[in-house]
Amino acid sequence: MRKPNSVYWKICCLAAILLSVITFTPLVIPAGKYVPQLFGMPYSLWIGILITVGFVILTFLGTIVHPGKKEEEHK
Amino acid sequence: MRSWIFILAVSYLVLLVLLSLNSRRRNQTADDFIFAGSNIGIFLGLLTFAATLFSTFTLLGMPDFFRMHGIGAWIFLAVSDGAMVFLIVWFGYHLRKRVLKKGFRGMAGLLNESYRTSFAGYTYFAGVFLFLIPYVAIQIRGVAIFLNASFPEVFPVWGWALLIVITMLIYSEVGGLRAIMYADTLQGLILLVVVWVIAFNCISYFGGVKTMFVSVESVDPGLLSVPGPENLFNIQFLLASFLAILLLPVTQPQLTTRLVVMSNLRAMHRMAVGVGFFAIMIILPTAAIGLYGAVRYPEETTAVFLSQVLLFDQPGIVAAAAIIGLIAAALSTSDSQIFALGSELRSLLPLREKNTLLKTRIGMIVFGFASFVFSILSSDQLVLLARVSFAGTSLLAPMIFAAIFLKKSPGIEIVIATLTGLLLFIATLFNIIPSEIGTIRMDLLLLIFLGLFTVVIHFVRNRSNGWSRNQH
Repeated sequence: MRKPNSVYWKICCLAAILLSVITFTPLVIPAGKYVPQLFGMPYSLWIGILITVGFVILTFLGTIVHPGKKEEEHK
Repeated sequence: MRSWIFILAVSYLVLLVLLSLNSRRRNQTADDFIFAGSNIGIFLGLLTFAATLFSTFTLLGMPDFFRMHGIGAWIFLAVSDGAMVFLIVWFGYHLRKRVLKKGFRGMAGLLNESYRTSFAGYTYFAGVFLFLIPYVAIQIRGVAIFLNASFPEVFPVWGWALLIVITMLIYSEVGGLRAIMYADTLQGLILLVVVWVIAFNCISYFGGVKTMFVSVESVDPGLLSVPGPENLFNIQFLLASFLAILLLPVTQPQLTTRLVVMSNLRAMHRMAVGVGFFAIMIILPTAAIGLYGAVRYPEETTAVFLSQVLLFDQPGIVAAAAIIGLIAAALSTSDSQIFALGSELRSLLPLREKNTLLKTRIGMIVFGFASFVFSILSSDQLVLLARVSFAGTSLLAPMIFAAIFLKKSPGIEIVIATLTGLLLFIATLFNIIPSEIGTIRMDLLLLIFLGLFTVVIHFVRNRSNGWSRNQH
């Protein structure tokens, strides 16, 4: 049976791929548009910041569920 | 300002000398010199990785990129760095697992062993040499032109560049990787503080973030969206840059080495998260500095804009700290890359410790002076030249992935294809062949082709092995 950690790790990988893909769609970089703004920041900037933060959070979650972590603990 | 520069410069140099001597005392073997004992903790690991990654390119190049091309610069670098830290967790684990089994003298050595031919290591070395030397050179040039623009009476551009190269070589040769890592830590902290103080002053000029964007909109609304006023940030450019930056820890030896020398997997994981956080913290203020420049100095040259925003618009102590921070940034990125090239050269040489270490040291001096020569000849487009370096080394990634992930020796066809890809990419840079085929960028096309080719060769080889086993 697969270890639960391995499944969670794969979910993190899929989420990272998904985040990468949507970055290059008009959802994040609509050409020539800068509304809606957030705290005065143009659209692609604030959503770009959110995506970067999303990657860092995913990285953090990934380090928690990474299957290699257990391997090292057992050594 | 000059007295502040003197005080900070002397303090920085004294610290550098102390750190080098301390590292020299702790280096007992050649491996200590090259790999800092392979026992680096989270704090040192985080700051050395971050300082190697974020350098003159960040402090000088990114504000100018935001000024000229607008907020798409965030997607170009910060989003790519965010994805890169996730890749560190995935790739770093497999790399360390491989290193644990087979040992590590450098990526070139690892490739030689995996492909069972020194052709693989030499191809890798040629790739990193060809694309890292220009990258080192632009770090040095960036600071040299800035210092020359700010203090034209002191040294010419080549004088500043030579001073930076000599300082870097002295402390690298004295203290090895550990000294470089300590210097990186110092630089990382200086850079972070300086860039935030300057950004805060830039935002204060407008009276707040909201009014800053209103002012930018009145100057050029194209700066607030992609593809930017000069149409640079189209999807293809951003995607090709994303892939090139994403693959940096795989392809650039100064970063790969830092994944290997972390004390354990847990430390490497935490370092990755820290680098992601550091990336946001360091790139965000460069946006404010760049947008301030877009409003106040839209028509000025890069050198004039940077000397205005970093020096003459700042209080004396901040300007002095910016100068020291910039010199430190140029030193820390360049030394890591020159040292990594030396380590890679060592991993190609036969295992006779005394002799190889001497050759490594001589190699570093040669690489340092090659960078100096290139720094005099290169152009001032820091970010775009850095991007060429990233794109060039990214072509090595499929060959490296095959070596790390495949249990059997990958085919030499992959190495030949990689070398051909590198040559084609160089040919596009010199306009010998077109840089686009149809509407697709050549760097993107080559990377996709090499990735697919590696996968196909793997399956073909597996199948033919299975077939010959059945025959017997």
